[in-house]
Amino acid sequence: MSLQTAHNHLCQCSIVPRDVLKRFSEDIKLTEKERKCFSDTALIDGELRKLRAQAGKLTNIINTLSLAPVVIAGTPAITVANCNHSQTLPGTPISTPGSSTDLTIKRAYDETKAVAQFYKNVFGRNSIDNAGMTLGSSVHYGTNYNNAFWNGMRMAYGDGDGNIFIDFTQSTDVICHELTHGVTQHTLQLAYSNEAGGLNESLSDVFGSMFRQWRLDQMVNQADWLIGHDIMGPGATARHFTCLRDMANPGAVHCLAPQPSHFSEYKPGMDPHYSSGIANFAFYKIAMAIGGKSWEKAGQIWYKAMVDFKPSPNMKMKSFANRTRKLTASMYPANAALRTAVDAGWLAVGL
Amino acid sequence: MGLIKIEKIGGLGGFGGPHLKSYGERDVAELLLADRTALNLLFSRRKGKLLKLPNNMQIRDGFNYRISRETEAGIETIVVPESMVPAALIACIKDSIE
Ligand SMILES: [Zn+2]
Repeated sequence: MSLQTAHNHLCQCSIVPRDVLKRFSEDIKLTEKERKCFSDTALIDGELRKLRAQAGKLTNIINTLSLAPVVIAGTPAITVANCNHSQTLPGTPISTPGSSTDLTIKRAYDETKAVAQFYKNVFGRNSIDNAGMTLGSSVHYGTNYNNAFWNGMRMAYGDGDGNIFIDFTQSTDVICHELTHGVTQHTLQLAYSNEAGGLNESLSDVFGSMFRQWRLDQMVNQADWLIGHDIMGPGATARHFTCLRDMANPGAVHCLAPQPSHFSEYKPGMDPHYSSGIANFAFYKIAMAIGGKSWEKAGQIWYKAMVDFKPSPNMKMKSFANRTRKLTASMYPANAALRTAVDAGWLAVGL
Repeated sequence: MGLIKIEKIGGLGGFGGPHLKSYGERDVAELLLADRTALNLLFSRRKGKLLKLPNNMQIRDGFNYRISRETEAGIETIVVPESMVPAALIACIKDSIE
């Protein structure tokens, strides 16, 4: 990498240590133009940090006071930006993504809109913050980028390397998985490590899988319960991997990321994408025991457990399990079979 | 003294698990001054623990990088979010299925 590319990289990056920027801005080995670029970036970076800190404080105040933001009627605006293979967010805004000839852009728009509809129609939620927050997505993130993520404010999707993974917008469950991280951020505020991290990841998988089933109008016994099935590339399928994770069989050999399915296998410090298998399997067992469509009862209990309580950043899996047990009794007092199903599902995973 | 070893972990697919792997290595001498400086600063501040992002930067499914280097005192390892890793190091890794 040339010095020019190095400084371009640093100037574009949003999270570069300020002292690095300051040091370069005073480095006599660099040209005046390069030094100015670093000092400008340090200035912008400082202001951005202040802005983010203010936004974070506001979110915390709202949550502390349990004041719901004013609910705006209707559905949220959906925007898509094109990163054109850079790793700079948000990228170039697309004016009419719904009619784009770039299928990735169109898919990100259509499926995000469908997720918003899913949350509204099924759970009565108006966007991520339940106040009509604009849902922004960035596509073509990076080069051969094997990932999709939520950056705290928007979704970002890579195109995959074409071997292990293909375009990450191809899996409807992936799109709802990322968006659900936003919902969790605005509700339970679960941390991203240990048991809370596993619950955080599981909520994203559970709602991701439910959304995929809802899109296909599937009964629980028709669903495949796979996460990331539609982003598997030829190199992965040639090795007989059919998904990232399988909620129905978390440790299966066809999973690229096989998971534990019993709490006895949980270890502190585990990557949340692995520990989530425990709660994923419980949800699967419960939804299958109830029958019908996953979002009709099991999904309603999970949604209430996520949004109707104070933030619990360090929530334990057992607490979440017990919360769903109590909610089942209060939401469906006349349905003893449902209570048995929820209890048995959690007991099966050791919780 | 000169070899930097790097492993990508995490992400939606949980890189670093039993099948999804991503490794690379680079000689420090091949890095530009700017990258070496950035790397030295990361090592000097973040030994052995994940670099903490500001509270409101709630990245989920993001990649982290485990970076190791040899020193006279032994091998030093840091784990940092992708956005803090010099691009020249990210460029040397390769994703694979094992
Ligand atoms: Zn996730």
